[in-house]
Amino acid sequence: MFDFEAGDDLDLIVETAKSFAQEELLPRLREHEAARSVDPAIRATFGEMGLAGLELPESLGGAGLGALARVLVNEELAAGDPGAALALDPLGPALYALAELGGEEALRTFALPLLDLDGARALLVCDADADLEIGEEVSGRVPWVPSDRADLLVITRGDEALVVRDGIQGSELRGSGLRAAGASELVLDAAPVLARYCDPQAAGRARARARLYTAALLVGTMRQAASASLEYALDREAFGRPIAHHQGLSFLITDMRAAVDGARLLLHEAAWRVDQGIACEAAAATAFAEAVEASTLVGPNGVQILGGHGFMQDYPLEKHMRECRALGLVQGGIDAAREDAGQALCAAPSPFPLSHVEGAG
Amino acid sequence: MKFEIDKATRDRLEMIRERGRAEARPIGLEADRLGRPIPVDDPYFAKLIERGEGRTRWSGPAPKEPKGGAGGPSQVTVMSLLFVEELAYWDRGVMVATPGVGLPEGNVLAMGTEEQKERFLGPFREPDRPRWACFAMTEPGAGSDAAAIQTSARRDGEGWVLNGAKCFIGNASRSDWILVQATLDPSKGRAAQRAFFVEQGTPGLGGFRIEKKMGLKAYESTSFTLQDCRIPASNLLGGEERYEKPSGFKSAMRVFNAGRPIVAANAVGIGRAALDEAREFAREHGLLGDARTRDRLERAARKLKMARLLCLRAGWLADRQKPNIVEASMSKAVAAEIGQEVTSLGMELLGTVGARGDHLIEKLYRDVKAMDLVEGTGQIQRVIMARKLVGLPRD
Ligand SMILES: Cc1cc2nc3c(=O)[nH]c(=O)nc-3n(C[C@H](O)[C@H](O)[C@H](O)COP(=O)(O)OP(=O)(O)OC[C@H]3O[C@@H](n4cnc5c(N)ncnc54)[C@H](O)[C@@H]3O)c2cc1C
Repeated sequence: MFDFEAGDDLDLIVETAKSFAQEELLPRLREHEAARSVDPAIRATFGEMGLAGLELPESLGGAGLGALARVLVNEELAAGDPGAALALDPLGPALYALAELGGEEALRTFALPLLDLDGARALLVCDADADLEIGEEVSGRVPWVPSDRADLLVITRGDEALVVRDGIQGSELRGSGLRAAGASELVLDAAPVLARYCDPQAAGRARARARLYTAALLVGTMRQAASASLEYALDREAFGRPIAHHQGLSFLITDMRAAVDGARLLLHEAAWRVDQGIACEAAAATAFAEAVEASTLVGPNGVQILGGHGFMQDYPLEKHMRECRALGLVQGGIDAAREDAGQALCAAPSPFPLSHVEGAG
Repeated sequence: MKFEIDKATRDRLEMIRERGRAEARPIGLEADRLGRPIPVDDPYFAKLIERGEGRTRWSGPAPKEPKGGAGGPSQVTVMSLLFVEELAYWDRGVMVATPGVGLPEGNVLAMGTEEQKERFLGPFREPDRPRWACFAMTEPGAGSDAAAIQTSARRDGEGWVLNGAKCFIGNASRSDWILVQATLDPSKGRAAQRAFFVEQGTPGLGGFRIEKKMGLKAYESTSFTLQDCRIPASNLLGGEERYEKPSGFKSAMRVFNAGRPIVAANAVGIGRAALDEAREFAREHGLLGDARTRDRLERAARKLKMARLLCLRAGWLADRQKPNIVEASMSKAVAAEIGQEVTSLGMELLGTVGARGDHLIEKLYRDVKAMDLVEGTGQIQRVIMARKLVGLPRD
C-alpha cells in the first residue's frame, strides 16, 4: 500500500548529502555565488562521495540508483545551494536524454569522458528554452544556461535528442540566480550534430526525469527558504513578541510549510513512478508545475518574513527567492508542464481519471 | 516509498463506486432538490441494514485480538481515507446520513467503560433497524473555541443534571443517544469538561430543530436544548474514576484529530467529482481543445492529487501511531480549500449553466464549503499548526 519513508538504504545516502550540503555548501553560499564556482577542495570532497554517478548504471561505474534517490539527494543539496548542486553535477539532467534515448552506448561515448574532466558540465537544453535552427547542424542562440562552460550540449526537441559538442561559443552573463554554477549565453554556429536519437517513449521518460531533477532542486531551495525565515520569525520581535506569534504571520508560515510538503509529496510519487517503470510523464509534469507554483509563494514570502532585512544580501532569503524563480523557468517552465499534464488529463480514457480503482493518475 | 493500492482494496473501492452511482448519488440529488434530510424510514436505510452496514467497529466484550501482528503496522486509517474519499465522491451528505455510531464511536472505544460499550455500542453490533448516534460539542455561542462551551453538568444525588443548548449536530434528532460535551465549571475551561450519554426520550432533552443548510441536505444538522435533563451517573463517559486526574477535553480533541484527514479526504472526493463532471462537460461542449479549459482542469487535478497525498500521509502516520498533529491539520486546511477551488473552477467551466442551480457541480460547490468549517475551520487548522511550528501562544 503506502509508505512515505525512503527506507534505510536511501536514508543513509540522503543523510550524507544533507550533512555535506549543510556543512560545506550552506555556509559558503555567498562565496560560491561570487566565485561563480564551487571551491576546489569542496568539489574534491563531493567527488569522493560518489554522488555524481548516482544514477549511472553500475556497469558504467555508477551507483545504479533511481529517480527517488536523485530527487532526495537534490533536495538536500539545493537546501545548501542549488547553484552549487548544479555545478557539482557534471552530467545534470542531460544524463536522462542520453540514457533514455541513446542507452549505454551514448553514455559511454558522451557522458563517461566528462566524469574524468575536472569541472566539466554537460547541459540539457530544451528547444522551448532556446532559439535554434536544427538541421544537419545546429545554429542559433541559447539565452541562458546555468554554467560558464559547455563541454557537451544535449538538445531535446519533441521526441528527439541531439548531441552537440563543438561550435559552441559561450559568453558570461551576470545571471539572475544559481550563479555558483555560472551563467552564460551560448551561440551555436553550424555546430555539428554528433548523434541524433528519436524515440517518443524514451523522450517522454527523459523529459519526466529532467523535470523531477529540477523540481527536487526547487523543493530543496524553498524548504530552506521556509525554514530560514521561520527561524528568523521566532527570533525577531515586533510589538512586544516574536513576529511568528502574530497570527497573520504564523498563518503565512503554516501555508509555506504546506506548500513545500505538498510539492514534495507529488515529487516523491512521480519519482517512485519512474523507478517502477510505470506511466510517469504526467505525474512528473504535475510535480514540476506544483514545485514551481509553490516556489513562487515560498520564495518571495521568505523575504517578506524578514521585512527589509530580507531584501538585503546579508541574509540568504533574497538569493532563495531569485533561485526559486530561475529554476522554475527551465524545460519550458510551468506552462509546458501544465500543458503536458493537461493534455494527458483531457486524453485519459477513463471517466474517473484520478480514481484509485483504475490506479490513480 | 510506495504509492500503490492492493487488489482487494481496489475491489472494495469499485463496489463503493457501483453503489455510489446506483444509490447514493441519486438519493443525495433528490434530498438536495427536496431540501430535506433523507427520512428515517427511507427504504434505503433499511436496505443498508439488511446488507450489514451501519454496524459498530466494536468487536464485543471478548478480549481484543492483538493488532499489527504479522501483517505489519495497521492500515485502518489509510484504508478509511480511501473509502471515505470514494463515498464523498458520490455524495458526502448521504455518507453522513448512513446509519451507524458515527462521530462518537472513536470516543466511546477509547474512553468508554466496558459496561458503556455494551450498553451504547451493543445495539449497533447487529442492529435490528437503522440506528444513529451523534456527538454534540458545538453551541450557538461556542464552536471553534470549544473550551468555552456553556452547557453545564451538575451532580445531583445519584445522577447528573444537564442544562444548555447545542447546534448543528449531525443526525441528532434520530439518534438513539447523543454524546453531549458539557462543563462542570465554565470558568475552568477544558479541564472541567466531560462527555455524557443522553438517551433519546430523556425528559428535558428536546427542542429539536433541523437547520436549513446551503448544502449536504441529505443528513440533518440539528439544534436542541437540555433543560434540567437528568441522566444516571453511569452515563458519564469513562466513569467517575477516569476523571480523578486527566482532563476530559483531551480525548475529545483526540477524536477531532483522527477526523481531520477524514474530512480532508471527503473534500478531495467532492473535488474529484467536480473535476470529472467538469471534464465531461468540457468534452461534450468541445472545450477540451481550449488551452484555458485545459489549464483549469490541470490545476484542479494537480491540487487534488496533492491534497490526497497530504491526507494519506497524515493517515499513514496515524496508523504508525506517530505524531501527526501538523500533518493532519495541514491535510484538512489544504484539502478543504482545494475542494472549494475545484468546484468553483467547475462552475466557471459551466458558465451560466452553473447559475441555473440544477447541475451536479453546483451542488458540489455548495456541499464542499462545509469541509472548511467542520472539525475545525481552516483558520483553526492553521492555529493548531502554528502552535506546533512556532509556538503560537493561546491568548
Ligand atoms: C454541516 C455542519 C455539520 C456540523 N456537525 C457538527 C456535529 O455533528 N457536532 C458538532 O459538535 N458540531 C458540528 N458542527 C459545528 C462545527 O464544528 C462548527 O461550526 C465549527 O467548529 C465552527 O464553529 P462556529 O460555527 O461557532 O464558528 P466560530 O468559532 O464562531 O468562527 C467564526 C470565524 O472565526 C474564525 N475563528 C475563530 N477562532 C479563531 C482564531 N483563534 N483565530 C482565527 N480565526 C478564528 C473561524 O475560523 C471562523 O472563520 C457542524 C457544522 C456544520 C457547518
